[in-house]
Amino acid sequence: MKSAVTTVIASADAAGRFPSISDIESVKGSFDRANARLEAAEKLATNIDRFTSKALDYVYGLHSYEQANKDKCARDINHYLRLINYCLVTGGTGPLDEWGIAGMREVIRAQLLPTIAYVEAFTFIRDNLDIPSDMGQQAAAEFKNLLDYLINALA
Amino acid sequence: MLDAFSRAVVSADSKGAPIGTAELASLRKYVSDANKRIDATLAITQNVSCIAADAVSGMVCENTGLTQPGGHCYPTRRMAACLRDGEIILRYVSYALLAGDPSVLDDRCLNGLKETYLALGVPLANAVRAVEIMKIATVAIMTETNTGRKMFDGINSGSGAECKDIASEAASYFDRVIAALS
Repeated sequence: MKSAVTTVIASADAAGRFPSISDIESVKGSFDRANARLEAAEKLATNIDRFTSKALDYVYGLHSYEQANKDKCARDINHYLRLINYCLVTGGTGPLDEWGIAGMREVIRAQLLPTIAYVEAFTFIRDNLDIPSDMGQQAAAEFKNLLDYLINALA
Repeated sequence: MLDAFSRAVVSADSKGAPIGTAELASLRKYVSDANKRIDATLAITQNVSCIAADAVSGMVCENTGLTQPGGHCYPTRRMAACLRDGEIILRYVSYALLAGDPSVLDDRCLNGLKETYLALGVPLANAVRAVEIMKIATVAIMTETNTGRKMFDGINSGSGAECKDIASEAASYFDRVIAALS
């Protein structure tokens, strides 16, 4: 699983060397940002159902998608937000890459799903994040980075 | 390979739930102890040759037959291989300590190590003894209970006494090595 620390260790191991000063500096850098990340993860975990349902209502207000699929759409948005919660914890994009993005295009194409709906949902969440009542400035920045990463992968 | 964070992620994913306040508490502790962890890692990386050489020499001193003709550390080529392995084990312990999780040690170092040693005719009891000495030396350096240079003069976390918890975590990784070879 790719995270801030394992990436550093993997490259040190590939070179067969002990963690160097620069390796340790980069691990330290990720620890310095960790409080914002963990706050974002915590707030996202608390609000995950609210974010999901607001985004869902927004998307269904824009287009006339089948009502029958609404709970599946909610499930998927919730799934991606959960993976973002994991990414916030690890400090890397590993969980999204391995469990959310690998194979995603193929699945979406095979199921004839409208990717634009997901893009709109996550853009809505990103643009309607309420600072500071949802989460603090730094935490929101970390969260939005990952939303952007996901939106780019979907688009 | 996992670290403390991705270990939490893997276990949360098996439940299909996001990581909430309860699970975050132990990760916050990991973050707040980061300086101690880094110092403890430096305690290994800055004393590698000392720890490995002392451990192998100590092991040989206890079994002087090893360096005699016919012994397992004779000729010097085999003694050198022994020193090299000591450093490799220390390297993986330092990775595990930095990550806060033993998976890198298990996957990349210990998996198949015993079988390799058996196949090469390395005496496991002596290998275990060398690892034991490395463990004692590493813990002593981290907690500043060693004789000689004190590790934490003037750097991050202040004193060896504060690194007790981290040092016992490091000791647990050496214990894994010993368990894997026994």
